[in-house]
Amino acid sequence: DATSGSSSDCQPCPCPASATCAVVPKTREVVCTNCPTGTTGKRCELCDDGFFGDPLGQSGPVRACRACKCSDNIDPNAVGNCNRETGECLKCIYNTDGFFCDRCKDGFYGNALAAAVGDKCKPCSCSPLGTLGSQVSCSQVTGQCECLSNVAERDCSACQPGFFNLQSGDGCERCNCNPIGSTN
Amino acid sequence: PRPDVHPLPPGTHLLYAQSGRIEHVPLEGYEMKKDAGKALLHLPEKVIIGVAYDCVEKMVYWTEITSPSISKASIDGGEPTTVIRSDLDSPEGIAIDHLGRTMFWTDSVKDHIEVASLDGSQRRVIIDSDLVNPRAIVTDPPNGNLYWADWNREAPKIETSHMDGSNRRTQAHINWSARILATADRRKVIEGLQYPFGVTSFGKNIYYTDWRRDAVVAVDRHAGKESDMYQPQKRTKIYGIAIAYAQCPAGQNYCAVN
Repeated sequence: DATSGSSSDCQPCPCPASATCAVVPKTREVVCTNCPTGTTGKRCELCDDGFFGDPLGQSGPVRACRACKCSDNIDPNAVGNCNRETGECLKCIYNTDGFFCDRCKDGFYGNALAAAVGDKCKPCSCSPLGTLGSQVSCSQVTGQCECLSNVAERDCSACQPGFFNLQSGDGCERCNCNPIGSTN
Repeated sequence: PRPDVHPLPPGTHLLYAQSGRIEHVPLEGYEMKKDAGKALLHLPEKVIIGVAYDCVEKMVYWTEITSPSISKASIDGGEPTTVIRSDLDSPEGIAIDHLGRTMFWTDSVKDHIEVASLDGSQRRVIIDSDLVNPRAIVTDPPNGNLYWADWNREAPKIETSHMDGSNRRTQAHINWSARILATADRRKVIEGLQYPFGVTSFGKNIYYTDWRRDAVVAVDRHAGKESDMYQPQKRTKIYGIAIAYAQCPAGQNYCAVN
């Protein structure tokens, strides 16, 4: 209040460097009006949507607001891509998941960090007949589904050689062919 | 308790969400009175996305994604009230049928569209299939229609249905690179848009928020060109936008008389 006539009429803004401030007329509350890029809040103490950090160190060391770090697996057109404080990614795309969208989500396998979208996460597509407990998830890296006994292939879709009856849903049975009359 | 809302003077205003605030700019005719732009309410810990206005009770409604919720406040002052706080993941667009006394919103994580009474009761999912990134939604109260946009990168589209979700049809398939502003009957208004987020119309003008310029842009729909632009001092993304009418547009619909 520049009109009250004391030497402390004008005080510096309680805001980070270069930010301006204003007094809310009714409440006399001081609010920063031009927080640095990526920051917001009455004292520039929060990160904007699309950024994360703890710019004033209110719950630990100071961490400047940075753009969400989600392994290029978010869409900039989305809102709420990451938690404003922790940076946890909330809107992973391309079938990725994890704190940094850095792994494939359940039911998918591959390399979430691959550069080309087509190389990222592919569906496990485990065969329901050949997979233990009809699981839909597989090894994150190889894509191997967990097969019933004597069942083969990445997606557990075929019997091992010398076995048959995948349809049973209990694994495959030995063929029991007579070695004299069989070609293999 | 101190009121959180700075009451709006009489007249018509543009309301828009920016960085945990709902700001307003008065309209004089169709002109934005930029010098008179001010905060209507400030909720710094929130990320406000969608904004809608109920001209009957003079309430602003908004969606918020930090602790996902839908809230309202009177533009004549007072404290915000949360009307929906459960079973929301990423509520984005919100629209009000002031005649039927209902609100509609999109959720881009649940990928559905819901309706509820303005007090939050009688919630119901009305559209829950074939949505990827639903966002903007508007009501056409006199005709009982809804329109919404889905920015799905693979196949962005605008759809329409009755207010109960029936008679769903695709209004337009959108080409991402087209960057045009058009009306529901597919008449092009302008081309060369930069990064539109929210849009609303009032009389001869269409107003949209632009993520490239961090601005509210006015477009004269008859002249087919941008007629004005308002860049608030704070340069961050501007999300939803709505018109706070001085008076409700005339009309009635089936829900209003039943």
